[in-house]
Amino acid sequence: MTFNLVNFNHQRRRRRAKCFSMIWFGFGFNGFGQINYSARSAKESPSDEDVEVKEVAPVRLSTCCSDGEKRLELVGASWSRTVFLQCAGDSHVCLSGFRSDPPPQKGHSCFPQSYGCLDAQISESYLTLAFKDRTECWSLDKKDSSPVWMMKHTPEENTGGRLPLVPGGYVVSAPPFLHELSPHLCCVSLALGMEHAVLLSASGTVYTWGSSSHGQLGHGELGREVEPRVVEALWGMAMKGVAAGGWHSVCISGEGDLYTWGWNESGQLGLPSHAKQRETLQGGTAAGTESDRKEVFISIQAFPALLDLPEEAEVTRVSCGSRHTAALTCTGDLYTWGWGEYGQLGHKTTQTLDQPTRVDFFADRGLRVVDVVCGPWNTFVSTEEKDPTTHPDGSHDIP
Amino acid sequence: MSETIWPELQAALPGTEAEFPLQFSEKVEPSIVSVLKLARQQLYGGAKPSLLACNAQVIQDFSWEKLNTGTWRDVDKEWRRVYSYGCLFRAASLCQGEASEATLQEAIRSCDMGLLMGAAIMDNILQTVVRILHSKVRKRHSEKEDSGEGPDVKRLRTVCASVPEVGAETAIPRIRCPSLERFRSDFLVPHKPVILQGVIDHWPACQGHRWSIDYLKRVAGCRTVPVELGSRYTDEEWSQSLLTVNEFIDRYITGSEGGPVGYLAQHQLFDQIPELKEDIRIPDYCCLGEGEEDDITINAWFGPAGTVSPLHQDPQHNFLAQVVGRKYIRLYSPEDSEKLYPHQSHLLHNTSQVDVECPDVDCFPDFVKAPYQECVLQAGEVLFIPVQHWHYVRALDPSFSVSFWWS
Repeated sequence: MTFNLVNFNHQRRRRRAKCFSMIWFGFGFNGFGQINYSARSAKESPSDEDVEVKEVAPVRLSTCCSDGEKRLELVGASWSRTVFLQCAGDSHVCLSGFRSDPPPQKGHSCFPQSYGCLDAQISESYLTLAFKDRTECWSLDKKDSSPVWMMKHTPEENTGGRLPLVPGGYVVSAPPFLHELSPHLCCVSLALGMEHAVLLSASGTVYTWGSSSHGQLGHGELGREVEPRVVEALWGMAMKGVAAGGWHSVCISGEGDLYTWGWNESGQLGLPSHAKQRETLQGGTAAGTESDRKEVFISIQAFPALLDLPEEAEVTRVSCGSRHTAALTCTGDLYTWGWGEYGQLGHKTTQTLDQPTRVDFFADRGLRVVDVVCGPWNTFVSTEEKDPTTHPDGSHDIP
Repeated sequence: MSETIWPELQAALPGTEAEFPLQFSEKVEPSIVSVLKLARQQLYGGAKPSLLACNAQVIQDFSWEKLNTGTWRDVDKEWRRVYSYGCLFRAASLCQGEASEATLQEAIRSCDMGLLMGAAIMDNILQTVVRILHSKVRKRHSEKEDSGEGPDVKRLRTVCASVPEVGAETAIPRIRCPSLERFRSDFLVPHKPVILQGVIDHWPACQGHRWSIDYLKRVAGCRTVPVELGSRYTDEEWSQSLLTVNEFIDRYITGSEGGPVGYLAQHQLFDQIPELKEDIRIPDYCCLGEGEEDDITINAWFGPAGTVSPLHQDPQHNFLAQVVGRKYIRLYSPEDSEKLYPHQSHLLHNTSQVDVECPDVDCFPDFVKAPYQECVLQAGEVLFIPVQHWHYVRALDPSFSVSFWWS
């Protein structure tokens, strides 16, 4: 069973009414201009074009439809692309980043076959579009005139655009695309990692299945599960959100507590990590004494572990990249931790962090973070002014 | 001491960008292929080395994630090839300017990462590149030695390892250079363990190129190898680490006592460093097997006194050649597997739960009923371990063994 990174932002709920006031920022891997393209293309020497592979500080996103229109919502990111949903007027999706049409280039474009769609998810090879009456998968590398896969459903079955969920199952980014899910699971949210799945039921129970090579299923074993299995360690606590990284899993309890498990290779669980210790020793930023070297670190956490954020902030949303994690608190603050090599933590460095750390960029500008979506190696957030009546550009909200 | 090595490397690379192959199956998405092509363009187009370094890192990081997805066996070879390209581009970016000693070491490390985790590309070009880099490092070192900074002679880490007494009834028989026919009829066919004497005396590793610490440091010192930390692989605290041979020797062979045991174990060192392979020979007896010579797996086992391989079995015949030091070895027949309490888990079902030299008789009462054979394998001897025979190994001295798995 291979899931691939089809969708890192499973637990989103649409807030169309608020689309108006939101501004999107991105940071991290920008090798294909998926975060910031215009700045790069303005450069004079073409050989310098790829200098900004790493956007270490948040950058305001632009897309092909962003001028004059503000009803854009970022709904997902693959390694080389980001996908936006344009919700004003004729709804459709716009892509930023890698374009395979020859000659390979970078830039923004609208996806012509997407008009009328309600939700989208993207992987390295496929774009999945959810419409009122059908779901389609399109190849991103071949210029096909028809989708590579499609299923029809009645408007009554409509899941309301909550990809990867579709009526009766979920869609992954590789053939045969559709996987069935038992209706008894009462799935409300599904997160897919590199080779595992994390499901949230209507009653707040968490199920996982797939590979547990790095403990990412949370059953305490390193094996694999073919069928959804309840994460017993969380039994009795109703959860309200789940997320899956490449090889780790995160969930939010009803009270806003965070639980993490799986691979802690880069500190993505927020637990002491080997990578962080190595970085500290090599960088010589801390006294690399013998006693430091012997400190304990956790490589694999095979059961859910409670993770406290500084000041015990209540978590409202969480999203995972392949090896990093980003959480949002009820105060509108963003915390990030894990792999930072491409600037995906937003702290203006390429450091890896194994402790949740607040991204000061937004607080310093009086911005409240209202949504977060991680791509594999980057992070995207939408923000609004902390004073809700004024926009950063000076215009006013409609009451 | 900085000088450029780039012209030599350039000569090892294809002459033009067009001759530099980048062919992958459909598995490798166009996006990552575009990064590979950009890196190639930068390599030949005289772009700043930092730009090439950045793309090399992207290629390495992307394919590294693929290498960690699914079990190692299932990882598509294409991703291992992509990883090797990333390592090649990285090594090239490091050597384009003036290469300091530290930069050369880093470039060698990058090639070794490709040799360890990647798949061969462009006629195994990483092997060629690492040879060029390594000879440069050695040249500089020998210049240093000539100027009086000779290598310091270090004492081996000594551990008072207890040498078990081998009983007359349990001793594995020794035989000197048996004929092929005799070995086949008396040992191979009936699956009887035996110690062969006098069959590796002609190895350069035992004569002219005697594997001393100095020699190993000179031939392999700056090469990166996988090292097991913790005394046995069944321990909770056991882990693996990548170190250079120099670091490994300084820390775990000649270093002061204390800290975990480090063991360069079950590593195909001779594929990684062909120069060392010239110091050993495949035993003639392997021709009695059905497999081709290429199917023989040769592993290096290099560590201090006290390393332990817990009681386990392997799916092939094994010639364990002891080149340096002594090892205590105990063998159990596969017929007695039930008395050996193999682990239940799939991953460790070939490994016994019992600590052979200190068995917990309450938990494993039948273990002491199992008959066994034992020996202290001396330098210059080769132990024949028939297929499926359970073996427990403890080094009594700093030790270097070479194992040949064959069928």
